[in-house]
Amino acid sequence: MIELKGVSCRFGSTVAVDAINLTVETGEVCVLVGSSGCGKSTTLRMINRLLPHSAGEISVDGQDIRRIDVRKLRLNMGYAIQGTGLFPHWTVARNVALVPKLLGWSRDRITTRVDELLTLLGLAPETFANKYPEQLSGGQAQRVGVARALAADPNILLMDEPFGALDAITRDNLQNEMLRIQRQVHKTTVFVTHDIDEALRLATRIAVMDQGRILQHDTPENILRSPANAFVENLLGSQDRGLKLSALRRVGDAMSRHPQPCEPDLETDWLSEDDSLRQALSVMLWHEAEQLPVRDAGGAEIGVLSRDQIWTGAT
Amino acid sequence: MLAPASDMPNRVVPVLASLALVLIWWLDFGIVQPNRIVPGTGYGLVEAIGAANSAGLSAGLLALMVMARHRFRARFYGLGALVALLLMWQPILLAEFADRQLPADAAYARTAIGAGFWSLLFLLGLMAIEVLSQLPSPRGHHLILVALVLVVWGVCVAAGRLDSLSLVTEYASRPDQFRQALTHHLALSLSAVLCSLVIAIALAIMMMRRDRWRQPVLATVSFLQTIPSLALFGLLIAPLSALSTAFPFLQTLGIRGIGWAPALLALVAYSLLPIVRNTYVALSEVPDDLVDAGRGMGMSERQLFLKLKLPLAMPIIIEGVRVTTIQAMGLTAVAALIGAGGFGTFIFQGLGQAAMDLVLLGALPTIALALAADGVLTALGQVCRPAGLKANG
Ligand SMILES: Nc1ncnc2c1ncn2[C@@H]1O[C@H](COP(=O)(O)OP(=O)(O)OP(=O)(O)O)[C@@H](O)[C@H]1O
Ligand SMILES: [Mg+2]
Repeated sequence: MIELKGVSCRFGSTVAVDAINLTVETGEVCVLVGSSGCGKSTTLRMINRLLPHSAGEISVDGQDIRRIDVRKLRLNMGYAIQGTGLFPHWTVARNVALVPKLLGWSRDRITTRVDELLTLLGLAPETFANKYPEQLSGGQAQRVGVARALAADPNILLMDEPFGALDAITRDNLQNEMLRIQRQVHKTTVFVTHDIDEALRLATRIAVMDQGRILQHDTPENILRSPANAFVENLLGSQDRGLKLSALRRVGDAMSRHPQPCEPDLETDWLSEDDSLRQALSVMLWHEAEQLPVRDAGGAEIGVLSRDQIWTGAT
Repeated sequence: MLAPASDMPNRVVPVLASLALVLIWWLDFGIVQPNRIVPGTGYGLVEAIGAANSAGLSAGLLALMVMARHRFRARFYGLGALVALLLMWQPILLAEFADRQLPADAAYARTAIGAGFWSLLFLLGLMAIEVLSQLPSPRGHHLILVALVLVVWGVCVAAGRLDSLSLVTEYASRPDQFRQALTHHLALSLSAVLCSLVIAIALAIMMMRRDRWRQPVLATVSFLQTIPSLALFGLLIAPLSALSTAFPFLQTLGIRGIGWAPALLALVAYSLLPIVRNTYVALSEVPDDLVDAGRGMGMSERQLFLKLKLPLAMPIIIEGVRVTTIQAMGLTAVAALIGAGGFGTFIFQGLGQAAMDLVLLGALPTIALALAADGVLTALGQVCRPAGLKANG
């Protein structure tokens, strides 16, 4: 658990972060979102003491971070940044092994761990372990950056716009990976972005920041339903809040299930259980369908979703 | 789009070759001196090496001109081979000249290289550089060519075929002094570079820690570089002699107003600018986000320096060392003026005695040392380039 109480950060006369209070529960993903220069990175960097806080108190698992040895503190926090920060003169494997090596793990343990992580991030170790960052695409490099942050199995992950520089499709893929990995490892995560859709998608709770203050700190759903003020409303975009809300729901939670999975009808279009209601709506609009069959990951038909169910499910 | 250079007729080689052709026929090829001081008599090409050799040499140069204008793919290999052959032929031609024109009965008579021959050597050297620069992976070819040419020259000297050459006689009358000059020259210039490197790294780290040091430090080392070298050598004489008079134990260390101490100080002062600037620029240009990432993951400042900043900065630091070393090799020759030893001793002795060959005995090895340092440090720069960085990055 990370707690910030009345934390401020000043650079000379400018106040980058102004007396914020924020609690990140163990295992949850807290996304800091806001426009450029609002103090997101500054907040993040105070947590691993890359910046000193000028006032207030930051504690990790109840312990004041100023009382913890700074290197010990950082070694227990994975850190991934925009533009990856991969060392260009080291191979992918060596980059990922950075923190385990600092912790003095044995060589075998490091090799096993590196392979495990590359596989987790969808990079075949035999292909990628010995490449240099320069030989990777932006998306691959960013995966390595995430793998490096996860390497020593830290309790906390700090991520500063890790997908900021990627194209929409790659970013979408990596967000899916993040969700999948988070379901497996449950890290206490602070994630910075200026993309509200990314925030809605990844967050357990979102902290909306502006000019060094936190305007609202709540779950994506609550933020969408009742934005605290005009700034938050504006950030969400008043036009498509309904769609954003429907994007938070799974098809699997709104459909009616068959008593027994059955053979799918190969002719018709279909939805998958993990699609969002927003995607379902789009497919229905396109096919002008009243309802669509739903398949599970194995391809068996497990239920149907009707237009009405989208309506009731999304509101 | 421009066609690749290798697909276009080469213009440099024909120009150099035709110039060489004109100069060898026009200028004296060799000189015979009755003794060391008296000016000698010059001999033209045919007189010096005979009609057949003259025709052969001219044909070789013509062949270079013709070959360079053609477009077949392997022509640069052909050109390289031909230039190398011509360079290897030169000592044999010199020996031929001595056989023909050196009077057998005059014990002090000696041969000297004429202006035509010097021009030929120089132009062939330029052609070699041009051709090598057109070949892929120039380093390997470079080494083979230089080695072959040096071996042939070395064999000719060792076999005594060039004994009458004034340069060789000058060497033969002082081999011990030559060896000593070599040791002094190397010791002085290399220790100057080493001292500067240590100081430079310390200064660069200091400048990175405290930004307000940057301006004064860079200004100081730039200022040092602008003092004329003779003046700096001279300026150091007074304070150092005062010091050694005041503290006699310094004299036992060899620290006096003249000698190696002021020379080393001056050389270090000159070497600082390129090394300090390159080291500082290289270390401070390591991208902030890399340092940030490393620090954020728990690397100590020491680990950040040794594992991240230094390896990334290495190629540029070595480049600074290379420039400095070449410069120090040349300046060490000047340091002979204040009694520091080295090849400069021969140069200034020769100038004093109007013996040009003694000057050459000092100048040629100085140039050779600078070129060798260039080669070695360029190679080292390639070796130390971190894997994973673009060759030109
Ligand atoms: N080292 C620094 N010195 C002075 N001011 C700084 C420094 N770092 C940040 N600031 C200021 O603090 C404020 C917050 O910066 P911060 O980097 O936290 O913004 P951000 O929310 O991360 O923005 P972005 O989305 O552009 O990354 C900005 O006004 C910035 O100019
Ligand atoms: Mg930022």
